[in-house]
Amino acid sequence: MSHWIELNVGPVHPSTHGIYRFRVKLNEETVEDVDITIGYLHRNAEKICELSYFVNNIIYFDRMDYIDAMNMELAYLRAVETLMDMEVPERAQWIRMIMAELSRIAARMVGIGAVGLDLGMLTPFFHTFHEREKIQKIFTEASGGRQEVNYMSIGGVYQDFNEKIINEIREFISQFKGKLEEMVKMLLDSEIFWQRNEGIGILEPEVALDYGVTGPMLRASGIGYDIRKDSPYLFYDKVDFEVPVAKTKDNLGRFLVKVEELRQSIRIIEQCLAKLPDGPYFNPKAKKSAMLLLKGQGDVFTRVESESGEFGVFIRGDGGVKPYRVHARSPSFKNLAVVPEMTRGVLIADLIATIASVDAVAGEVDR
Amino acid sequence: MYKILSEETDKSGMKVLNIDKSDLVELMEEYKGKGYYLSSITGVDMKDHLDVIYHIHNFDKNDYICVKISTSDEKVPSLTKLWKAADWDEREQYDLMGIIFEGHENLKRILLPEEWAGHPLRKDYDLKKVQYVSMDRSGNEHVSFDETEGW
Repeated sequence: MSHWIELNVGPVHPSTHGIYRFRVKLNEETVEDVDITIGYLHRNAEKICELSYFVNNIIYFDRMDYIDAMNMELAYLRAVETLMDMEVPERAQWIRMIMAELSRIAARMVGIGAVGLDLGMLTPFFHTFHEREKIQKIFTEASGGRQEVNYMSIGGVYQDFNEKIINEIREFISQFKGKLEEMVKMLLDSEIFWQRNEGIGILEPEVALDYGVTGPMLRASGIGYDIRKDSPYLFYDKVDFEVPVAKTKDNLGRFLVKVEELRQSIRIIEQCLAKLPDGPYFNPKAKKSAMLLLKGQGDVFTRVESESGEFGVFIRGDGGVKPYRVHARSPSFKNLAVVPEMTRGVLIADLIATIASVDAVAGEVDR
Repeated sequence: MYKILSEETDKSGMKVLNIDKSDLVELMEEYKGKGYYLSSITGVDMKDHLDVIYHIHNFDKNDYICVKISTSDEKVPSLTKLWKAADWDEREQYDLMGIIFEGHENLKRILLPEEWAGHPLRKDYDLKKVQYVSMDRSGNEHVSFDETEGW
């Protein structure tokens, strides 16, 4: 005799990392089906963007994937600068690259810490957040903002790197390498971690592609697609890094891919710091007094590799000072949609571990 | 056989195919056979008609293509039979833009509550109208608004 229970997880539940709601159909302890309700953090940033000037919209993108703000800004600015044919000086592009990678590390610190947290291990979370705090200190030094930074601007960045910032980044990187191994060891030494992650939450590559899944989730399913490598933006083609791929397709694979990407991010930042040229940090065409008068016409769609996957921005300009339509292709939105496929037949505790490994950010899902 | 009305390259260097909406499913079926996957669906309100823009992606060839259709009666064929990704994407565009995807089996709002009035991304959406959302004990959302109030 099968016995149905409908269990409600969320909207305000620690394992949802934000607010979305799972209605789980349970057969004893086994998950039969998951129904996802989203929209609790919906602010309709796309509409707000239509109402304000191109340069003012950067802050709304900050608040999409709020833990990976730099990559969000970069995604929007890539589209805007393509639309306006705006050149970005070389130094600004290297600075953007350093900041994007630091932001990726900061975001992954939340993701990796939360994997432990959802399995009942509180300690790794404090360690990862301690590291994240150091990155946020660097961001504060550069932009004045801790999390929602608003650092990049049309045609460059808000403020040049000074010696202090560069030294802080160097210092951070030199101690982070050892710290990362320590944190990863802390998780991998735990028996609970292995039981809840190894062979759980299998995502077949065909299913992943069908659902539009990108980023570390796709790479953990055996498809090594990374925009930074396959259609490079900024100067990603001038630095040396590798794209990790896991063939296990499970939670463990996703965790290990994310960890390996952190090591690669460190490599990228080191090379960027070595290659950072002198020169202007913004395009004089986009000087502050004329920023609101910048116009754009036509359609553009550009993508960047954000922390959770392929973040695409579509902009249609009608020749005015405000965009006519802005659309964000959000990777977390797609990654979350595939959760029911991954969790059919797993235990309820494994469902929580799987949600943690998907690491969808509510702000980006709902926009 | 489908007919490509015009072909162009947009500012980001992407190939753009303009087609009639009746040819959409046929064209997409062919591209699916070539190994393309749906990446994104965008609706644009052009006041007298709606544009629907599809971005499809081939991971092996590393190729992105943009397919554009336009509709004057808010109805376009659904692609849910081809790609699962179309499910949530089409629900989002229905929710925010009011595009009706014919053939979608579960076309209901995804981000806003089911009772919400209007589609916010439409250019004629009244931003002054305030709608209040409340939730009952079983988690169902209810929307209420006052005709006379606004901000």
